[in-house]
Amino acid sequence: MSLQTLHHLYAALAPWSALSLLLLGRGPYLSRVRIVGSLFLALFVLRIPIAGWTCFQWVMSLEPNPSFTLTALLAVALLQRVGRVQLFSPEDWKAAWFFGALASLILYPMGLGLTSMDPYVLGWRFVLPVAVAVVAIVLILRGNRFGLILLLPFIGFLLRLQESQNFWDAVIDPFYGGGAILIALGICWQGIRRRKSL
Amino acid sequence: MPLWIRWLMMAVMVLLAGAVVWKECGERGGHGFIRAEVFGGFEEPKITPPRKGEAPVFQEEIINKNQNLPFVHVCSIVELAGGDLGALWYGGPYEYCHENRIYFSTLKDGAWTAPLVIMTPEKVERDLGRPIRCLGNPLLIQSSDGSLRLLFVTIAMGRWSGAQINTCLSKDRGRNWSRVERLTLSPLCNFSELVRNRPIPLTPPSARGGEGWCVPLYQELIGKFPELLWLKQVDGRLIAEKSRMAGGCATLQPSLIPINKESAVALLRDWTQAKRVFMSRTKDGGQTWSRPVPTNLPNPDAGISGLLLSDGRLILAFNDSIILREKLSLALSDDLGASWKNLFLLEHDADAVSSYPFMKRTSDGLIRMVYTHEGDDIKMLTINESWIAAQPGGKLEPSVR
Repeated sequence: MSLQTLHHLYAALAPWSALSLLLLGRGPYLSRVRIVGSLFLALFVLRIPIAGWTCFQWVMSLEPNPSFTLTALLAVALLQRVGRVQLFSPEDWKAAWFFGALASLILYPMGLGLTSMDPYVLGWRFVLPVAVAVVAIVLILRGNRFGLILLLPFIGFLLRLQESQNFWDAVIDPFYGGGAILIALGICWQGIRRRKSL
Repeated sequence: MPLWIRWLMMAVMVLLAGAVVWKECGERGGHGFIRAEVFGGFEEPKITPPRKGEAPVFQEEIINKNQNLPFVHVCSIVELAGGDLGALWYGGPYEYCHENRIYFSTLKDGAWTAPLVIMTPEKVERDLGRPIRCLGNPLLIQSSDGSLRLLFVTIAMGRWSGAQINTCLSKDRGRNWSRVERLTLSPLCNFSELVRNRPIPLTPPSARGGEGWCVPLYQELIGKFPELLWLKQVDGRLIAEKSRMAGGCATLQPSLIPINKESAVALLRDWTQAKRVFMSRTKDGGQTWSRPVPTNLPNPDAGISGLLLSDGRLILAFNDSIILREKLSLALSDDLGASWKNLFLLEHDADAVSSYPFMKRTSDGLIRMVYTHEGDDIKMLTINESWIAAQPGGKLEPSVR
């Protein structure tokens, strides 16, 4: 298998998981037919050709490097939905959203030119892997399962599953970052409202 | 989570982090913050002063005489192994057209060969396995092993702000090209990284070997700012990373002029209301740059290109206007880019645009400059330092010397 095929297979996981979750919906009861049907339909939708290219290839031209963190969080959400098991507690999800929001706020404004310092460069150095490892160790020692998810960027980076060779792309992408900021803001807003009502 | 699993996972994390750090440092060479440890410093410019009594040279020619394309742009030149000159540009029906191709022509026995298509959108799409909108901004680098490295941008979506950089290699002087690879250089979907202007060879750190270049780069998505792409080729493997020269939304398309191994001047295209050519300097091999400051030269948000002369002065090709690109001029600076004096008006036609100069000194001592002329021609100007000295104001004042 060529490295490029590997990159494409990996890059397809995140859109496939996201689409499967959308097709599964939020209904309380899921039949086996609905589950299998949704998973296959998501695969089918990604292979629908538009102007000579499949939907997946269009998605890949927009984001060729979905982060391992996003892919793993989507996989957890999908497994929880399909298997009706709780892999992540609300605290684990909270850690995922706050980590994503913080990483995005560090990376994107400065990475896109807000200052003369470019944090993206740290992804080619030892600094970022060490920083992420420290966060992951703290989370694991506190029993937070999001810490285990943070093992995956390291494994994926070592296996060269992404086109990018920058560790930032293994940890975060604009979709995870944007979503995490919105959800983290929502959590903060709920916290403020709760405190006001007390 | 049971305690023993936490400790086990922590150990796994430490091992994985160690492996990633070892991979990052081992593959790139050099451990940390000092980029020069990985890529080396600027190669010392070797410029032979003009011989006494050398005749002035001033030649103009059209490179793509019979190409008949409605649109050609962003030409660059490279000195090929053996001393031949190569020129490449992109062209087609119009600027953002999917039909645009990258063309390559060589100067052989005093005449330019018919333009050869060296890159098509179809090849890029086939190699990358995804659609692109169009391609542009080609740049060639001649390696010491005889291979040619092509850098060019493709637009995934939108306009130039949606551009990404690609590279491939030719071992037969541009006839066949390896699989196109995408360089990931930007955090937001890898959008908005563009190459433009002359690459500077680097002296690799002796212990690590390899061959390196520093390529002017810029981003124009939300901010507009200059960057540098650092490339190192070791045993056919390419290591690439970038660094920022300045942030914000002000200057772009740096033209790098190395003065020695550590110092360089960068002249920058302006996107502010100042409408001036900006200048920035480094004294640590490009690690850090001074804040760009405006010079006395106008700039209508257009590309520029400069070179170092044998007497330490700088020469710059620029559009001498704050509005349009109809005037193309040469200017000289004897204080490393701080102030400039106009030298020669090359083009002035109210109905024709002359833009995107690309200047290079070839090993025969001649200064070659290519630029887009009237939108459908690629023009090359060849001059030497004797011609510069023969122009009014072209001689170096004894007091400056």
